[in-house]
Amino acid sequence: MRICVCIKEVPDSDIPSNKLQIDNQSKKILPVENISNIVNGFDLNAVELALRFSENFEESSVTIISVGNNLTSDVIKKPLAMGADELITCEDPSIEKMDIKGIAKVLSKMILKTGPYDIIFCGRHASDFDNASVPFGISEFLSIPLVNIVKNIKKIDKKIIIERIITDGFQKVESKMPLVVTTGNQVGDPRYPTLKGIMEASKKQIKKILLEELELEQNDIKPKVKIEEIYFPENENNVEIIEGNSNKEKAINLITKLKAEGVI
Amino acid sequence: MNILSVIINENDDLDESSLEIFSFIDQLGSTNKISSLVFGGEKSAISKLCSDEIFYASLENSEALNPNNVLKTMDKFLSDKKFDLIVFQKDDISNFVAPALSFRKDFAYLPDVKKFVSKNESEIKFVRPVHGESAEAIYSVDISSTIIIKIRKSSFEMKHLSKQNSIVNEIILEEQDENTFKILETEKVKSEGIQLDEAEIVISGGRGIGSKEGFDNLKELAELLNGALGASRAAVESEWIETSHLVGLTGKWISPNLYFTFGISGASQHLAGCINSKNIVAVNKDPDASIFNHSKFGVIADCNDFIKEVIEEIKNIQ
Repeated sequence: MRICVCIKEVPDSDIPSNKLQIDNQSKKILPVENISNIVNGFDLNAVELALRFSENFEESSVTIISVGNNLTSDVIKKPLAMGADELITCEDPSIEKMDIKGIAKVLSKMILKTGPYDIIFCGRHASDFDNASVPFGISEFLSIPLVNIVKNIKKIDKKIIIERIITDGFQKVESKMPLVVTTGNQVGDPRYPTLKGIMEASKKQIKKILLEELELEQNDIKPKVKIEEIYFPENENNVEIIEGNSNKEKAINLITKLKAEGVI
Repeated sequence: MNILSVIINENDDLDESSLEIFSFIDQLGSTNKISSLVFGGEKSAISKLCSDEIFYASLENSEALNPNNVLKTMDKFLSDKKFDLIVFQKDDISNFVAPALSFRKDFAYLPDVKKFVSKNESEIKFVRPVHGESAEAIYSVDISSTIIIKIRKSSFEMKHLSKQNSIVNEIILEEQDENTFKILETEKVKSEGIQLDEAEIVISGGRGIGSKEGFDNLKELAELLNGALGASRAAVESEWIETSHLVGLTGKWISPNLYFTFGISGASQHLAGCINSKNIVAVNKDPDASIFNHSKFGVIADCNDFIKEVIEEIKNIQ
């Protein structure tokens, strides 16, 4: 079973918004302090599900693919430390200017160049720009099925049987291979890298593919959608701080207000 | 502009929130031609949608709607029609069909639009939130090809149905092909207790709670107020509370009347899941915590001490 997982490096989504700043030159949001980036949370769920699935087969491999510019190797090597076999990247300044179509094209071409793979796992969306769309591009460009928000995946004979989350429940679906699978936190927590895993990952070389090698066409990378400006919305909200000489007094004042507002 | 609204009614009724699409379209001006493509729902309500032209695909014969069938139907529908803008709202089916269709037809795609900004002869500008809810961005989209957008839920008013009936043109829902998944079984789940995403009141705890025992107070308050229990990722990762209570980007997205938080600082990934709450009340000992920027009432106090006083006071008045 040959498995591929697409991951993205993003700013840590746990940083409070008052510790973020905007760089309108690069149209990016950066942490104020020197806080390390992370692998997008849902992508780690994808890595977890991919590793669990691969353990069912005697012969299997899990390849991690990531695209971007100036990727942080300590960050994107995390899936290797979790147990993935190899990491392939494509880094180029022009990738920052691409829209979802460009990114999906780059990933699709990398998948074709380094594959074939039986299953391609992706996080359902990235916490930075939340487009929730690149995996659909991979599915369309490679003309293979996509099953979204997957919790569980099994191979029974030649069929892939999947448990997929819908708003008010779940669905059992069947698909052929190859296919694209997207994951959310329903997969369960991603495993912690072991010390041995971290040691081995640090020794592994990242395989780098140059953007030129992918022979993209001009139409593939010309963005239709561009960010003009990023800003923090003006805070029109005026919080009323409840005063009081003790916590007891504050509690009484708060409950009185909430009752008056009809909230409780 | 020539605009198509796409409405999916998985249940028999017209999904009322789909009417938000029409007040969004109103923002784009009054000279647009509006068409609607509706999947499922009651035909008499559909004929009253504020549209110049209505197309309808019945879902009567399909037990569980496969998004691939809608995708294929739309692909075929668009083969002899041209629109400048196709507007979806946010639901399971649209979340699948809108991006997939944009790649298949080589259209531009922008999800979670919360505001129209401006339009000229080459581009149209929209606002959408980024990085959870911590920032917003103005996007410009090239109008030389069709643009697909998905509007953000609850960002626009629901527009009333028209008094007049329009003709409803029926189209056929396409069957899936081999290159898609097949639905074997659909199970609707309803877990016990008050559902986090349906509760009117949610009591939520974060890093400031500091222990598993601290959540006992939150549980007690939730029970007293007939509310549900929520938590931030810090609390879930510390295993003080089960993951099913997680509110945020990677957990539940909720919009209760009261979101009462204890020891939550307001990380963007958490705000994404709770920003639509009508009233946020925050208790935190750090006066600079970003949660206060989004709260109606704030209390600067140690959350574990304060919650005990709140519980006592609620008991007094009940």
